Amino acid sequence: MDFRWDLIWRSLPLLLQGAWLTIQLTSISVFFGILVGTIAGMLRLSKGPMRYLAGAYVDFIRGTPLLVQIFIIYYGFPALIQNPVPPYVAAIIALSLNCGAYVAEIVRSGIQSIEKGQTEAALSLGLTPNKAMRYIILPQAFRRIIPPLGNEFIALLKDSSLVSVIALEELVRRAQVIIGRTFRPFELWLAVALIFLVMTFTISRLVNYVERRLKVGD
Amino acid sequence: MVTIQNLHKKFKNLHVLKGITTSIEKGEVVVVIGPSGSGKSTFLRCLNFLEQPTGGEIYFDGVLIDPAKNILQVRQEMGMVFQRFNLFPHIKVIDNITLAPKTVRNLSADEARARALALLDKVGLADKANSYPDQLSGGQQQRVAIARALAMRPKMMLFDEPTSALDPEMIGEVLDVMKDLAKEGMTMAVVTHEMGFAREVGDRVLFLDEGLLLEENTPSELFSNPQHARTREFLSKVL
Ligand SMILES: Nc1ncnc2c1ncn2[C@@H]1O[C@H](COP(=O)(O)OP(=O)(O)O)[C@@H](O)[C@H]1O
Ligand SMILES: [Mg+2]
Repeated sequence: MDFRWDLIWRSLPLLLQGAWLTIQLTSISVFFGILVGTIAGMLRLSKGPMRYLAGAYVDFIRGTPLLVQIFIIYYGFPALIQNPVPPYVAAIIALSLNCGAYVAEIVRSGIQSIEKGQTEAALSLGLTPNKAMRYIILPQAFRRIIPPLGNEFIALLKDSSLVSVIALEELVRRAQVIIGRTFRPFELWLAVALIFLVMTFTISRLVNYVERRLKVGD
Repeated sequence: MVTIQNLHKKFKNLHVLKGITTSIEKGEVVVVIGPSGSGKSTFLRCLNFLEQPTGGEIYFDGVLIDPAKNILQVRQEMGMVFQRFNLFPHIKVIDNITLAPKTVRNLSADEARARALALLDKVGLADKANSYPDQLSGGQQQRVAIARALAMRPKMMLFDEPTSALDPEMIGEVLDVMKDLAKEGMTMAVVTHEMGFAREVGDRVLFLDEGLLLEENTPSELFSNPQHARTREFLSKVL
């Protein structure tokens, strides 16, 4: 039994390039996911017919595997519209939509967690329901949403490895390619795991920091 | 100032208010008493439509309150103080008070601030402007809540058991602020179990029982000479 440290060292630049793509894909998708999810989450709490659409979206995404969602975006849609979608774009769309559904639930429960008395106090002062939402409910919900959003960020970072199936050279895909050449799966997968660990650990530290900064007056 | 005609409120099958008719005159302090669950809070919350009545009419300054038309204006003129204060915990005391004048009445930041500081001074909390609500005691929070409502310069104030959530030693400081307000001529509707307050500043007492306005009278008349057995029974427990 030998352990090839040198192999890890030599693979590191390529793996880190992959990790960088992983970070890019995840960050961009979390950004769009928060955008989509905030809208969907608020729509779910609204009175109009749009809430059913938002509900269907959330149920669909949460009830189907991300892998299938990636296939639908990368293989399904291009066939339908007779136009290929680049893997990078397909990955971001799939990850964003996936993230959005989970964020929608986080946003919804965050808003619902604010006591009814807050809305009532705002309304009793003559604020419109929209202003009550904007000045009173959302700022408070936002603080409560930060920790679960951080968890979602971490979950998406890990799940993003699934886009390796559409040949995007993110971290996992890079490892697969190197293993194909070197036949050293143990060292490579261990290295991949450690790189993921460093990334997720960093994110959770960042989230903790933001959470502490926002704690004032809550 | 407020005329209430045959007010009904049902929650699904629960008939909470069963036809209440009364009025509150300008400058009057009306105290609402009654057993727990008799509908006192619901009655008050129907006045500013935090609860939507299921029957009857309410007129404010002679105008029918209609949630589709004028409810925002009515609420601006009807301040409310809650049992649990409901201060906004994420902003400072001063911002709690200036928020509505700025966003609803479009007051400038300076005007709103000056008004808020004057009100804080009035309720004895001038030094707490930059505190957050949870840094204050219950009594202080409730006084801030009163200042927050007054900052809109309402024509009338609703109080729903404003001292019930307070430790006994803090009740006095809140009642004092309310008494001052009454002396200045504020029109007030107050749900409370503080019979001393009712006697001292109340112009009229309404006794609510199981959703009915069983009797109303001046405090001295109602307390010394109750007409209904239910009223006597209730008063024997609280006086
Ligand atoms: N939002 C609500 N939904 C259903 N029932 C309610 C609601 N609010 C109050 N009630 C019921 O209405 C009755 C009167 O309540 P309330 O007005 O709070 O009484 P009080 O303030 O006199 O104690 C109670 O039986 C209470 O359970
Ligand atoms: Mg009550």
